[in-house]
Amino acid sequence: MTALLPVAILLSSLIPAGVTFFLAQDSHRLRNTLSLGGATVKLALIVVMLVAVGQGASYEARLNLAPGLYLLLRIDALSLLFMTLSAVLWLLTTVYAIAYFGTKAELSRFFGFFSLCVGATTGLAMAGSLITFFLFFELLTLSTWPLVVHKQDAKSLAAGRSYLTFALPGSAALLLAIVWLESATGPVLFTEPPDLSVMPDSHLRIIFALFIAGLGVKAALVPLHGWLPGAMAAPAPVSALLHAVAVVKAGAFGIVRLVYDVFGIASVQDLGLGTPLALLASVTILWGSVRALQQGEIKKRLAFSTVSQVSYIVLGAALAGPYAAIGGLAHLVHQGLMKITLFFCAGIFDERAGAKRIEDLNGLGARMPVTSVCFSLGALGMIGLPPMAGFVSKVYLGLGGLQAGAPWVLGVLAASTLLNAAYFLPLLYRLWFLPAADAATGDERAPLLVAPAAITALASLAVGVFAASALSPLGWATLIVTREYLP
Amino acid sequence: MTLWTGPFLPLAVLIWPLLLGLSVVLPIVRPHSLRLLLLAPAPALWLALRGADGASTAPELFLGVELSLEPASRLLLGMVAGLWLAAGVFAQSMAGGRNLEVFTGFWCLTLTGNLGVFLAGDVITFYLAFATVSLAAWFLVVHSRTDEALRAGKIYIVLAVVGEVCLLAGFLIGVQAADSFLIADMRAALAEAPLRGLAVGLLITGFGIKAGMVPLHVWLPLAHPAAPVAASAVLSGAIVKAGLVGLWLFMPPGAFGAGLMALGMAGAFGAALWGLTQVNPKAILAYSTVSQMGVMVALVGSGTAAQAVAFYAVHHGLAKGALFLSVGAVAVSGGRARLVMLMAAGLAALSVAGLPLTGGGGVKAAVKLGQSDLLALLITATGVTTTLIMGWFLWRLAQAEVSGTHARVYERLPVVALTLAAVGVPWIVWPQALAATPDYALSGRAIADAIWPPVIAGATALVALFLRLGPDTRPPGDLLRLLVFSAPAIWTQPRAAFSLDPARLVAFVTVAVARLVAVEHVLLRWRWSGLGILGVVVALVFLMD
Amino acid sequence: MTPLIALLALPLAGALMAVAVPHRGARIAGVVVVASAGALIMLVAQWGIPHAAPGGWGAPLGIMLEADGLALAFMAMVLAVMAGVCATAAPMRELPTPFWPLALLAWAALNAIFVSRDLFNLYVGLELLTLAAVALVATGGDKALAAALRYLIFALTGSILYLAGVVLVYSAHGVLDVSLLAATLPAPTDRVAMGLMTAGLLIKTALFPFHVWLPPAHAAAPAPASAMLSALVPKASFVILLRLWFEAMPDAADDRLLTALAVLGALAVGHGGIMALRQTRLKQIIAYSTVAQIGYLFLVFPLAGGDGAAQPWAAGAWTGAVFQALSHGLAKAAMFLCAGLWIIAVGSDRLEDLRGLARGLPMTAMAFALAAITLMGLPPSGGFTAKYLMMTTAFASGQVVWALVLAGGGLLAAAYLYRPMGALFAREIPAFTPVPRYLQAVPLVLALLAVGMGVLSDGLYAFLQLGRPGTAEEGL
Repeated sequence: MTALLPVAILLSSLIPAGVTFFLAQDSHRLRNTLSLGGATVKLALIVVMLVAVGQGASYEARLNLAPGLYLLLRIDALSLLFMTLSAVLWLLTTVYAIAYFGTKAELSRFFGFFSLCVGATTGLAMAGSLITFFLFFELLTLSTWPLVVHKQDAKSLAAGRSYLTFALPGSAALLLAIVWLESATGPVLFTEPPDLSVMPDSHLRIIFALFIAGLGVKAALVPLHGWLPGAMAAPAPVSALLHAVAVVKAGAFGIVRLVYDVFGIASVQDLGLGTPLALLASVTILWGSVRALQQGEIKKRLAFSTVSQVSYIVLGAALAGPYAAIGGLAHLVHQGLMKITLFFCAGIFDERAGAKRIEDLNGLGARMPVTSVCFSLGALGMIGLPPMAGFVSKVYLGLGGLQAGAPWVLGVLAASTLLNAAYFLPLLYRLWFLPAADAATGDERAPLLVAPAAITALASLAVGVFAASALSPLGWATLIVTREYLP
Repeated sequence: MTLWTGPFLPLAVLIWPLLLGLSVVLPIVRPHSLRLLLLAPAPALWLALRGADGASTAPELFLGVELSLEPASRLLLGMVAGLWLAAGVFAQSMAGGRNLEVFTGFWCLTLTGNLGVFLAGDVITFYLAFATVSLAAWFLVVHSRTDEALRAGKIYIVLAVVGEVCLLAGFLIGVQAADSFLIADMRAALAEAPLRGLAVGLLITGFGIKAGMVPLHVWLPLAHPAAPVAASAVLSGAIVKAGLVGLWLFMPPGAFGAGLMALGMAGAFGAALWGLTQVNPKAILAYSTVSQMGVMVALVGSGTAAQAVAFYAVHHGLAKGALFLSVGAVAVSGGRARLVMLMAAGLAALSVAGLPLTGGGGVKAAVKLGQSDLLALLITATGVTTTLIMGWFLWRLAQAEVSGTHARVYERLPVVALTLAAVGVPWIVWPQALAATPDYALSGRAIADAIWPPVIAGATALVALFLRLGPDTRPPGDLLRLLVFSAPAIWTQPRAAFSLDPARLVAFVTVAVARLVAVEHVLLRWRWSGLGILGVVVALVFLMD
Repeated sequence: MTPLIALLALPLAGALMAVAVPHRGARIAGVVVVASAGALIMLVAQWGIPHAAPGGWGAPLGIMLEADGLALAFMAMVLAVMAGVCATAAPMRELPTPFWPLALLAWAALNAIFVSRDLFNLYVGLELLTLAAVALVATGGDKALAAALRYLIFALTGSILYLAGVVLVYSAHGVLDVSLLAATLPAPTDRVAMGLMTAGLLIKTALFPFHVWLPPAHAAAPAPASAMLSALVPKASFVILLRLWFEAMPDAADDRLLTALAVLGALAVGHGGIMALRQTRLKQIIAYSTVAQIGYLFLVFPLAGGDGAAQPWAAGAWTGAVFQALSHGLAKAAMFLCAGLWIIAVGSDRLEDLRGLARGLPMTAMAFALAAITLMGLPPSGGFTAKYLMMTTAFASGQVVWALVLAGGGLLAAAYLYRPMGALFAREIPAFTPVPRYLQAVPLVLALLAVGMGVLSDGLYAFLQLGRPGTAEEGL
């Protein structure tokens, strides 16, 4: 049983993926049943697991590949946090995607890769060793590409090419780093920190840099973020998933794993790597925001916002100290909820009202009130206004920065808040205050599109309002940090 | 799972207006939404009169909510609740207007935040309340959706967000030093914290913006007049007090005291004088608010007991509310009713000027107790400028155009009620609020002290009239007009301002340099630039310790 | 007849029958595939090292056949590829009649090479294979003749060099059996002999700079033949190289020589990759990709053993190279078979003619993509396991530069394989002749096998250790 459940969770998305590829284009019902069924089963299995882990059960599944090379699925609190997020958001995104695409062409391919993509994310969350992590990391890279180029127009193909141009060298760097490290220390399990003393410090620093380069591509750390804005050419559900849970989160999650479970926070500090990483994250936070300010296209603006926001997580990991760690981990969930809301809404604006650029938002608030409210909630959360989720993350990150003796973090957070306000508030102003163009049309009579957005918007409000509750992401992150990272 | 501990009433004070505000989404409530304004402040008023027995907590909410009611906060809570109620009554005159459900919703939200500021016992709740009152009030400012209001709204929101950010940073430093979210712990810890100077600077900026402290007041003379009359009243009377309460709650004792006094006094005199250049009665009142807030900031800086400052603030809130509402009431009154309204406004104005026996005279006398001679003299001297600006206001008010002749009772009643409250309430609450007895304010020396400023002011006005030196009229916005209105429209054209295209960058730098030159010229001829320099010097000195 | 003998005899008999009954070639091949599969399963199930001495004479007088893990694994790979080739070629009416006997003959030669442990016997197998392969290229018609001729000249040169080496060895030691040779004392002529044999085998393996014959030959042959040529033929000479260096005369090795071999391999990776990037025809891209992939194999010489004694994955590089050879064989066959099906569908293998074909033949596109993943060395494919094993050894023994070659080669592969992938997934909807689904499934199965090698590498790894030479662990 303890080995079966993780495998079953993985299969709950891999099997639908495999079957969906071979479905005829017009068997919509079967395909939707498969996708939704897979998502629901996975969520149910995760709930079962949550309960069992709460009662002290532990899960482990292992598949030997070659000596020193094996797949290990292991569940810890951090895995559960990420898994639960991805499972919940996947279910919502599936509903949204089904409503979004209707009966368009090439859907079997789309939903097949869509399921594969989430399977990879789940695997990534459950990975118990570095090499397992790498395996799912790559699976994610590959299964995302067909989603990015789904529309198959010139823009999508260019985006796909740019994605691979960044991602594959990133993977190569990651593989080099992993193999280099493991060649000296043996296979690295996340439960047992490797003995780093067998390598000279200079090698460790290079390895760390390679790791960051590899993971940083996915986490869209500046200057490796170039692929992300282009990836906006993908359909809205893909963007939503990409930005909230799948790709960029995988990178951020990887960096968290790297800092805490591979190197260990003490080694990172001893090697003098924490501050450079925190600085890199800070630069990313600010640069992403500045670039977002310049964008006239809604989805592009959101994309650069992701660049900025995901680095909050990296910043939390880079600063040594429990507060920062809590803030970063909580933001993993918070950013996911808020950003997926924004992308859901952007998709609805685009699909139902043809609004692609920010000017097109003028006056939409009156015609699409629910969507606009959701969008506003997401945007306010991104700015970090209380009581939205983003505020909670920011408080903890700021405290963490001070705790780690890096008060400049406050400046970064402050500047980021101002920039976020500068690029989000005008959107809200347009939505609610400016008059609509004469020929404007649009409505939100698409409950299956609006409902997921409403759910995630309310969730991102609720996790802020009930942050002190033990069940909130913050409570969870606190648990993880106290249990795993504090001696 | 504990929902709350302690008495429920403080929580109800906040939840009630929030629920009312949310209820406007119900179609059944919408047509009657304005009526909700009358109900919203009721629990707060009740709590202020009754007092709280012990702290209430809601441990699962946010990062653990803690509500408590200090004596000084209780004074302000009562005043604020009363003012919101009176303004709510006056707001009934807006019936039939556009977007009233939105107005009501955000009115209630702003009220929630405003009340929360006085009740919060922990930093996060305070911040949440503060942010709520700041941001939700934006909707009150721009309610009319005129160009002027929207422009004022932009300035308002930019400064509000900047203020929020500064506050959060300052709070985080304090929380980290105290390792506790409680305000009391944080204030104590901040006095010792390594980043004390930075935190104090950030907090002063954040609260200063809200309190209209010079030179961060620039949004206030634009925003307050732009709002509907009822909203102006609460903005000027109640909402600015959130900044004030923050100053005394969070500033470690003695931090930046001289600086606050200097800035406060600069505002007290400067804003009142600049107000003389205004023609719009509401703008004049807004400058008067900046001036009065300056006095209060100076009082905080001098280390005056919170209760005394609150006492002063209670009077100012009530009187300023009465004055703003009178602007609306006079405009729709004709004949004898107009005279009555003008008389009420006159009484409130005299009270603000500190005429003996009025509430204003009382509070002025009360706060001067125990101050250094210089500060006491300065506070007395503000009476001169205040009298001048109040006189100018009454003059402009009397000349205001009449847009209707049938003021309804809910337009006249709040004016009269607030005027009477401004004159009377200080004397009523004095025994409970302050240690010294009111007898002091009635002593001959105090009265003599209070008499001379109006006399000088009157003489000045007479000389001015005789020499036909009418005030130079200027649009509102003083400093801001120089810095922002002429600056590139970063807000509306982010691309142009931030693009890294070299040609544009060069152009941007060129323009920026030209702007700096322009600002330089203005600073050269600006009358109080010396004071500004002094302020900077003082600030630096205090930040360095 | 033991199963081991059957594995040699079946294709040979099939080849003869196909000559006798020319129009039944496909069926004969089918029977051979099924029967060989049965024999192979019996052998693998024994989980040991079966021996056979035809005619009852063992070494040194007679011929000794021995199927160690390496040989069995290669025979299994050949069987899989041949099954795929036969299935695809069967319905191709335009294939000339000699295709079937030649293909079966090549198969027999391959199996003979894998199980032989006698240098001369290996030469015979190699010669047989070469002639069959050249003839297979020539079945491509008139335009393939020039390529076939060039191939023939290169291959014969290689054969002569190899034969000369064998003669020298025999004159010095008097034995040709690999195991017996290892037990003899070194002779002064050994270096010359090894040099000659290695050079000859390098030519046949098409290692840079001797690769020039390969791309035109492989591109010119009919697609099923190309699949065999690219996937299988170079592996035979590589296996002989492994036998020579790791088993027959490991003492002859010298650091500089090992490095030189690896440098050539690295150059092959770079050159093949860059050349593949510049091609416009799919089959040429795949052919140049073979040049690049063969380069990886030669990294095994300096890496093998590599400081591995302290590690749990000793002998990783040696096994990694074998993994690479096996997975490349499966993946490359899948690619050429895809190319063949696309030529049937659109009549050309130019990239611009393939645009949008993923819509028409989705299963082949999937197969191509999976094969590409293996060639790029991305997990969880066999190519990844190979790369991981070799890379680990490279770092463990401090030879970081070879690790960089492995990583860089993967990126180059991604770059040159992206072009056909991009074309396939373009938006256009091309006009094409439909291809039956079962045919489309053939390359998909092969590609899945290549990927499956990675997922289930544990058993294969253990199997390959059967009869593994000790030098693979200790290093040369």
